[in-house]
Amino acid sequence: MPKNSKGRDIAEIIQDKCIACQLCIGECPVGAINMEGGVVKIDPEVCIGCGKCFDVCPVGAVIFEKPRKKKMTGIGQEPRPLEDYRGVAVFIEVRGSRGAEISWELIGKARELADKLDTQLFGLLLGSEVGLVAGDAIAYGCDTVYMVDRPIFKTYLSRVHGKALVHLCNQIKPEILLLGATPLGRDLASVVATQLETGLTADCTGLDIDRQQRLLLMTRPTFGGNIMATILCRNHRPQMSTVRPKVMKLPKKDPDRKGEIRNLDFAVSENKLPQIIDFIAEAAEAGTADITKSPVLVVLGKGACDSRSLPMLEELARLLGGTIACSRPVVQAGLLPYLRQVGQTGKTVAPKIYIGVAVSGAVQHLVGMQGSDKIIAINIDRNAPLVQIADYALIGDYSEIVPKLISGIQARRQGLKGSQQ
Amino acid sequence: MHIVSCVKQVPDTAQVKIDPETNTLIRSGVESICNPYDLVATEAAIQLTERYGGKVTVISMGPPQAESALRECLALGAHQAILLSDRAFAGADTFASSYTLAQAISRIASIDPVHLVICGKQAIDGDTAQTGPGIATRMGYTQFTYVSEIVSVNLESDIIRVKREVEGGSEIIEGRLPALLTVELKLATPRYASLPNLVSALTQKITIWGASEVGGLLERLGLKGSPTSVKEIFAPPVRKGGLLFDSTQNERAVEDFLDTLFTKELGRLDKPLVKDKG
Repeated sequence: MPKNSKGRDIAEIIQDKCIACQLCIGECPVGAINMEGGVVKIDPEVCIGCGKCFDVCPVGAVIFEKPRKKKMTGIGQEPRPLEDYRGVAVFIEVRGSRGAEISWELIGKARELADKLDTQLFGLLLGSEVGLVAGDAIAYGCDTVYMVDRPIFKTYLSRVHGKALVHLCNQIKPEILLLGATPLGRDLASVVATQLETGLTADCTGLDIDRQQRLLLMTRPTFGGNIMATILCRNHRPQMSTVRPKVMKLPKKDPDRKGEIRNLDFAVSENKLPQIIDFIAEAAEAGTADITKSPVLVVLGKGACDSRSLPMLEELARLLGGTIACSRPVVQAGLLPYLRQVGQTGKTVAPKIYIGVAVSGAVQHLVGMQGSDKIIAINIDRNAPLVQIADYALIGDYSEIVPKLISGIQARRQGLKGSQQ
Repeated sequence: MHIVSCVKQVPDTAQVKIDPETNTLIRSGVESICNPYDLVATEAAIQLTERYGGKVTVISMGPPQAESALRECLALGAHQAILLSDRAFAGADTFASSYTLAQAISRIASIDPVHLVICGKQAIDGDTAQTGPGIATRMGYTQFTYVSEIVSVNLESDIIRVKREVEGGSEIIEGRLPALLTVELKLATPRYASLPNLVSALTQKITIWGASEVGGLLERLGLKGSPTSVKEIFAPPVRKGGLLFDSTQNERAVEDFLDTLFTKELGRLDKPLVKDKG
């Protein structure tokens, strides 16, 4: 074990493991740790060898060999009476007059979590004339739906929805609250978590329960999808998380399922402002189909970012009953609108068939499409990351391969028709 | 008008990769940059002061090196910069971060009233999009997230009108100042800094505030004030590759592929056609 000039045993950082979370900087009692070039460094002459950095490091990036047991790290805040909080709650997002699909996906997952905790599943619903949505929430798996049905909730305003959801949470006291990681859900979750003074983990792709500690394990991609982190919220309730659409499976709807719908009233002061002046529909803006709903996607990568290739790729998509999408560089180049972008900063998709055309497959892209049923990669580079994970990889120049695919599919369809007749 | 722009220094995540064999991060050569969304926020703030007069104060919470992100903003034309840097801030999650930033903005506003706070939609390292709304909620400011256009600001009636991206389209919305906006990349394109600006940005004084200057409760700062904690970190799950058809080696590769596809996945391919859901 290394010693400094004073003969003290000191801690060391494994640079490759350090994720620069800076927990150790906050923990070090003598200020021996600093950020340098994206990783932390320990000043050996200042280090007193207490090992607190070793205790707090979440990734085992600190070497400290003095014999001692690794302690649990806690938050230095007064624990609240956590046992007052019971049940799993899902915020049900309303789109138009129907429940958003993400809310049903969440209910499917939340049902699983509630069963593991041996507790109830609540739906929290704010809207105007949304009785049918409440019924759907029961059919998808809620035990009780708490509903505030008022005209003011017809459109979304951070302040109004925030107040109402905070009010519901204070009344119902769920131990877990899940929202969709949609623009609305992410906006609302931050407001509510701040007011309830609890932890919020954004954009989770995995949720599970530590039954012994009754804790929600929230897993999310971080560093642009390069690593996955599991986050805990130990001493605050509800444990809040937003979840990316299309990550959790849509549960089966059971119209015969029984549950309770409770109408709650909640008075909101109706201010004149903020006020929504106008809404511009996406389709009107770009004239595009929703890439998250298409069963087949032909996805253009940087290597196929060429306006001359666009017609043949559109033809391939049309032939397969799908639509075209793209990776981020194609949007940056201005060839396709942002609405068609797949990936971390674009949309998450899970089509039946994903065809990546000269898509290299940067992690930021992969996190947005890994849920696809079948992945087909067309690429000149057999070492491209997407080729490595594809169910079918076609190696070669896409501008030669795609026309062959089109004629090949047409020929086979003709053949099929012929044999059926 | 007085605008505060909040920026974060982040590792260039596009360069951070994981070593599949050792399961560790490869960080060599990874630079620290100013979060791209925050540069857009700062550019938008500067454009507003060019249109309506006033000044831009840019703030950042981070280690002493985060100063370089602030200097980037000064080079764009921000008028003053404050770095919130203290060991007590380290290890903050978004909850503790928004607390510290809101404390600092309150102090700034007590010296010189703030009309508008502009933040990037999210930072590219954490991608949470939570700190901006957290600040707005704590300050009691009107909150508009995902702003793609600032339509107008009326300083006489204290009303701001913006366009924001929402599910299925975008909306035009107006609300009262002071307000906090989190902004999309398409809101503005950060300008190339002029040479005189670059030079003055290098020498301009950056105020540094620690915990005592920011004020507030110590137990709400940094690690101690963070309700969430990291349990573990691991490499993302990887899908296993399947069949490979090499058209550079085999002339019939595309045909072979289609044969396999039609034998194995025919149902998948033809169902969507029949249903025509797209």
